[in-house]
Amino acid sequence: MLDQLVHAQFAAILPPAALLTAPEDTRPYECDGLTLYRERPAAVLLPENEAQVIAILKACCAARVPVVARGAGTSLSGGALPDAAGIVLSLAKFRRILAIDPLTRTAIVQPGVRNLAISDAAAAYGLYYAPDPSSQIACSIGGNVAENAGGVHCLKYGLTVHNVLRVRGVLITGEVVEFGGEACDSAGYDLLALITGSEGLLAVITEITVKLCPKPQLAQVALAAFADVEQAGAAVGAIIGAGIIPAGLEMMDQPATRAVEQFVHADYPLDAAAVLLVESDGTHLEVAAEMAEIKHLLAAAGATQIRVSKDEAERLLLWSGRKAAFPAMGRISPDYYCIDGTIPRAALPRVLRQIATWSTEFGLTCANVFHAGDGNLHPLILFDANKPGEAERTIEFGDRILKLCIEAGGTITGEHGVGVEKLSSMCIQFTHAELERFHAIKFAFDAEGLLNPGKAVPTLARCGEFGRKHVHDGQVLHPDIPRF
Amino acid sequence: MNAPADLRVRPSLADVADLVGRLTRDFAERAVTNAAIREQHGHGEGMADSALPDVVVYPHTNEEVAAIVRLCHAARIPVIAFGIGTSLEGHVAALYGGVCIDLSQMNRMLEINAQDLDCRVQAGVTREQVNAELKGTGLFFPIDPGANATIGGMASTRASGTNAVRYGTMRENVLGLTVVTADGRVVKTGGRARKSSAGYDLTRLFVGAEGTLGIITEIQLRLYGIPEAISAAVCQFRDLRAAVDTVIVAMQAGIPVARIELLDEVQMDVCIKYSKLEGLQPAPTLFFEFHGSQAAVQEQAEMMQSITAEHGGSAFEWATRPEDRGRLWKARHAAYYASKACYPGKQAFATDACVPISRLADCVLEAKADADATGLIAPIVGHVGDGNFHLTVLFDPEVPAERAKAEGLAMRVSQRAIAMGGTCTGEHGIGMHKLEALVLEHGEAVQLMQTIKRALDPRNIMNPGKTVPP
Repeated sequence: MLDQLVHAQFAAILPPAALLTAPEDTRPYECDGLTLYRERPAAVLLPENEAQVIAILKACCAARVPVVARGAGTSLSGGALPDAAGIVLSLAKFRRILAIDPLTRTAIVQPGVRNLAISDAAAAYGLYYAPDPSSQIACSIGGNVAENAGGVHCLKYGLTVHNVLRVRGVLITGEVVEFGGEACDSAGYDLLALITGSEGLLAVITEITVKLCPKPQLAQVALAAFADVEQAGAAVGAIIGAGIIPAGLEMMDQPATRAVEQFVHADYPLDAAAVLLVESDGTHLEVAAEMAEIKHLLAAAGATQIRVSKDEAERLLLWSGRKAAFPAMGRISPDYYCIDGTIPRAALPRVLRQIATWSTEFGLTCANVFHAGDGNLHPLILFDANKPGEAERTIEFGDRILKLCIEAGGTITGEHGVGVEKLSSMCIQFTHAELERFHAIKFAFDAEGLLNPGKAVPTLARCGEFGRKHVHDGQVLHPDIPRF
Repeated sequence: MNAPADLRVRPSLADVADLVGRLTRDFAERAVTNAAIREQHGHGEGMADSALPDVVVYPHTNEEVAAIVRLCHAARIPVIAFGIGTSLEGHVAALYGGVCIDLSQMNRMLEINAQDLDCRVQAGVTREQVNAELKGTGLFFPIDPGANATIGGMASTRASGTNAVRYGTMRENVLGLTVVTADGRVVKTGGRARKSSAGYDLTRLFVGAEGTLGIITEIQLRLYGIPEAISAAVCQFRDLRAAVDTVIVAMQAGIPVARIELLDEVQMDVCIKYSKLEGLQPAPTLFFEFHGSQAAVQEQAEMMQSITAEHGGSAFEWATRPEDRGRLWKARHAAYYASKACYPGKQAFATDACVPISRLADCVLEAKADADATGLIAPIVGHVGDGNFHLTVLFDPEVPAERAKAEGLAMRVSQRAIAMGGTCTGEHGIGMHKLEALVLEHGEAVQLMQTIKRALDPRNIMNPGKTVPP
């Protein structure tokens, strides 16, 4: 329940239709793309301009009301999970593209603009916005910044942090701050990088300047089939090791291709243990030269079949299977759990082999669909939550995969963020001293901890508790944290 | 919130003497107090003004760096990291005395992961050493600020350089770090994974923090395959505008040029004399370099030639053989030294404006007119592909009025860039000279930077007086 006084303040800032408190109105906001976690907020606020955001945050700051900012709600880690005592601050009405400058190749957009809408608007100038998370039809650019979203093409064109020049945000105190600038670099500490991927814990974003890229003259994708998953993993290493950075380099294993083929009919080789999708873009000459080398490397790595798209329609068809992989899984399994661990590329064959072994051990199918070029795994564990014990086994399987990723020198999340989902895994990946730096930064921005509380960075107490339970090889995690 | 520590109070002489005694005991001949060494560590390559540390220590390991910082932390004595001293904004000056940590003996290449296109180096490894150690792997590290700087220094100043237009700056090419924090603990940020969204981006926070938040001791670097073909070319223009407009059109056309450098006629004049360049005129000039497959390089060059021709540029003077290319880029990199050498008795510093590419012509031409109006000699050189250019402002240090004029010109260059939506520093950093411009550029955000500084270095011992105003 919202405090009467605070409610009255909100009511003075927003029209009635933009202030939701009735359970039937707030229910749609109770979770994001990670539906395992649900919580009803005390209120949902839908401001439409920055002045309203400032006023709301000032009121929340004064009354110590937690604030969870929300874009399109497509987060896969519970980043937009509400706080029962707080408000959801929806940026859904911030959906204007304010300017497109074809000369500097930038666009100024509001945070609620959909990722794909930017590229659609820029198409008139032969430009596009490069980061392309699979949810790009729906996800908002503000959420992309908050999560440092990636996508198929970030191998060559970088993550959100590489494609954003400036972010305007409001601190919990209501102060407006500009992070970064319109030039290629900006003086002083890199606050822009700090705000990118901060999962709504540091500021509420109200405006973003993104970089636009010229559309390449030509893009072609090669589909290569392999009789063995490890061979496909080794082919990824061979391509990158040859110094080629393809526009996209994705892998799907057999459980994944079989599931998507029924869905998109892209004529994937279903007898192959794994397929790679390798994209090359640039001028006609560049693509021809690069594709020739890629084909050579794929063949040398043992590809049993290589098919190169002949035209744009075929290219899109080959990609459609990859982009539709998640919904396709939804069709063949009642539930699935997606993991986002990222590893150095050279470790791919070893990690994939281990996942396959565990899949048998746990008796759970695991489909692999992922950004192989980045080493960003997305194992999808298929399960049925209605079968007793399956959800628990799934979570344990997932935990093992994440620990393996850390062991291999990687990270627990490549692009989906920590949210609430991976808080405990953070305790494994980071030391006490490292977590302390995170808390120091949070304190510098939001000393009261009102912005998106309980997300992204675990408290030291939580890690202390967690470490007590998880003793690995006789080593207590976080031995320097006092026990309770 | 912690109260800001007062910057202007020097530590007591007795505390400093104690600490120096302790470091001398612990580090023996690797803790040096002689005046010549301290003087050498009291300044970079910018203004000659020097501020000496009390002692220079040469650690070999992360743990040794951490031990030194812990002592400084306990005694509240400043600690300044030093690579090879090529920074330009007074980053290494020990404004309040203290301990200079010279990382040049931490110069080991720790690992090369060819298949993952990355390597890990200690902070004292120089960029030329990285490339020498990569020989035979088919890989290279592209970032090239001209000087043979250390990787630690390049990370700390967020260096860029001639080929940032293609490969990015240190911001894009540092994958992870080992950092010694202000309380003397060793932390790792980022890692070998290509991307991570776990926790705040501490890697990029420490990159460019100029040693004010912690000391970088190890760096994981991104590497690239050596392109199949590289060729360089020179094209001369009748006037500066034509040269700059060429750059703007080329960038807007999306030609993936690897380097595109502008030198004005004053700069060309000194470069021709200093580096004995033959067959070139003291006229506005662009240096190009193209990377890719044979076909791609040829295609890029043809596209570029059609743009230069439209702007009245001369025929391309090609440098395809490695030794010819080497000579050309050596001349470009020597531009700053050439300017100083051709005007003996003058002192020099470099401005570092960077603007959105659509404002580049205005910014460069107005800076040029401004420089001409002051009567000072100020050659222009720039990595114009990313909107970044430098004036090397020459002045007589004995004539106070000239120095004031030079500083006024530099300030106006920064102001103009900021007014055009750009920055006062594209790559050199803030150091001690650009604090005022930083405030002008970032306003409110500077307070946030100060809060971060206090949060990560509450005792204000890490390179005090730099990067963020007190």
